[in-house]
Amino acid sequence: MIFSKKTKEMFSPIEGELVKIQDIPDKVFSSKMMGDGFAIQPKSGNVYSPFDSEVVLVFETGHALGLKTKDGIEILIHFGLDTVNLKGEGFDVKVKEGMKVKKGDLLMIVDIEGIKDKVPSLVTPIIFTSGTSFKLEDIQNLSVGDKVVSFE
Amino acid sequence: MLKTTIKAATGLHARPASLLVKEASSFKSDVFLLKDDNQYNCKSIISIMSSNLAFGDEVSVQAVGDDSDEAEKKIYDLINSIED
Repeated sequence: MIFSKKTKEMFSPIEGELVKIQDIPDKVFSSKMMGDGFAIQPKSGNVYSPFDSEVVLVFETGHALGLKTKDGIEILIHFGLDTVNLKGEGFDVKVKEGMKVKKGDLLMIVDIEGIKDKVPSLVTPIIFTSGTSFKLEDIQNLSVGDKVVSFE
Repeated sequence: MLKTTIKAATGLHARPASLLVKEASSFKSDVFLLKDDNQYNCKSIISIMSSNLAFGDEVSVQAVGDDSDEAEKKIYDLINSIED
């Protein structure tokens, strides 16, 4: 018998303030068109892996990453809104598609000071594109490593 | 199968990708975008975004299932209309 460790929780990948999905100032995300989730208003540009997973997406311009756990939980981390227009400026991505990462691994460093005046918002949606049910913890100020979500 | 080119200036990033997924998910058929030897699932936003399809890229739309003709046409039309 092969025991697959079930992912029970997710830790904050970024230091910042929790933003509820309906409060994201962009209809594509707040309407849950991509799925349910939440967002973080970042205080730091360092993005760490919130759980053991595989990197399934590194968008060309670096502003969007996709991670998938062994048990099928898939998330999209989209740093900032309309950040695709920066064409990669300010995004130092440390991982590649196909890489396996552990909880806490550094995924990328974003120059938030450098880009904050060039985009409408730094609010970073984190969407469960696998449709996984989740429970958001009652926490407002997130440090990297704080438990932010639990899965049934 | 219908062929077209990507007209979106910044490629299929989150906004156009989610429109594509929303439309494709309304069909029973499996819907794919094909480029070279690669196949991208139109019902998966991660799949579409990982395609790195960019402005000017030629792409084929292929659907498999009962409503495949309608699905292909709808997705083909949608891709042609995305310029942002």
